[in-house]
Amino acid sequence: MADPMHQFQISKIVELPTVNVLGLPIDLSITNSVAAMLLAATLVVVFYAAAARKAVVPGRLQTVGEMLYGLVDGLAESIIGHEGKKFLPFVFTLFAFVLFMNLQGMFLVFTATSQLAVSLTLGLLVILTVVAVGFAKNGIKFFKLFAPSGVPGWILPLVVLIEIVSFLVRPLTLALRLFGNMVGGHVVLKIFAGFVVALGGLGILGWAGAALALSSVVALTALEFMVAFLQAFVFAVLTCVYLNDVVHLDSH
Amino acid sequence: MATENHGTVATTEAPGHEGGGLPQLQFQHWGGQVVWLLLIFAVLYTVLSKGLLPRVSGAIDERGAKIAGDIADARRLKDEAEVQARAAAAEVAEARAKAQKTAADAKAKAAAEASERQAKEEAVLAEKLAAAEASIQAARDEAMSHVRTVAEETAGAIVEKLTGKAASAVELKTALA
Repeated sequence: MADPMHQFQISKIVELPTVNVLGLPIDLSITNSVAAMLLAATLVVVFYAAAARKAVVPGRLQTVGEMLYGLVDGLAESIIGHEGKKFLPFVFTLFAFVLFMNLQGMFLVFTATSQLAVSLTLGLLVILTVVAVGFAKNGIKFFKLFAPSGVPGWILPLVVLIEIVSFLVRPLTLALRLFGNMVGGHVVLKIFAGFVVALGGLGILGWAGAALALSSVVALTALEFMVAFLQAFVFAVLTCVYLNDVVHLDSH
Repeated sequence: MATENHGTVATTEAPGHEGGGLPQLQFQHWGGQVVWLLLIFAVLYTVLSKGLLPRVSGAIDERGAKIAGDIADARRLKDEAEVQARAAAAEVAEARAKAQKTAADAKAKAAAEASERQAKEEAVLAEKLAAAEASIQAARDEAMSHVRTVAEETAGAIVEKLTGKAASAVELKTALA
């Protein structure tokens, strides 16, 4: 059976020089992961260039484009409130980029979001934006985030500790949730698809097993499409929630 | 956190590139992915926030405004139509009242004319009747006056026959009076 982890192997497509930043070697070659990201971003731009029309009665493409935009718009509005509009481009870019990378993995051989480097960078990007927005909006009062109001004095140190830890693991949970879902789904798909081939070579009885495995693959593929959308959605929701924490720090 | 991960590059890079473990944990590939991702994200964010998303929201807002405007127009037209319908109904009612009045007038005029003509006819008839009665009266009077003459003559003849002598006219007249 083919190695189910092989699909996550990074391979270089275009060799580019390695640069050293602060003693860290950074290989700028275009790998399959970078190519997938480039393609996803390009597809987002192409899709929205085609979907962003002024038609009063929208066509199919425009309807889908406006539906996705409306989805994120509604999220930002309902979670962050009136100020959500300011963060809409950021949240939408995250959502669309993650969604297109996830969906691309359903059609092509490589899923960029199944790379921990990618999902962790996205998670850090979100949390650093949250910290930046928090400081820009509240100044030093940002640290009130870790000391919720209405907590009795004697328990406050413990609460502050818990709040700090929970804040620090946010990028990790963001990254691992996306990473784990994408890796898990694709590995399971690969394994079941491997069963089809392996069992198919075992004669009549094997064919029955292969048919079962094949139907599982079909069902799992449908499930994975849902997961691909859902994980992008969850990423956007949590980004909004974290942003809301620092935008409305007073009511925290 | 990112630098922390890069910090482990040196330690995990050493044992074999492809063999064992998750391919995602081959840290020699992290730097390039992170840099490219940030670059791509920055470009995508700029293109979307400056160019494409305003167009999408513009189209949505425009549609909302157009629908609201169309509904307002429709409401205004409906109100106008209602006013016109009310005016038309009032006009119809007025016309009907006028028509009824005209009809009543015509009827009254016709009735008046008819009664006047009838009165005139009756007057003519009454006149004729009176004339006829007068002429009958005259004829009767005349006949009655003839009766006296006949009676005188008859009386004279009877007297002459009986007495053999003619009575004078004066005697006859006084005898018959």
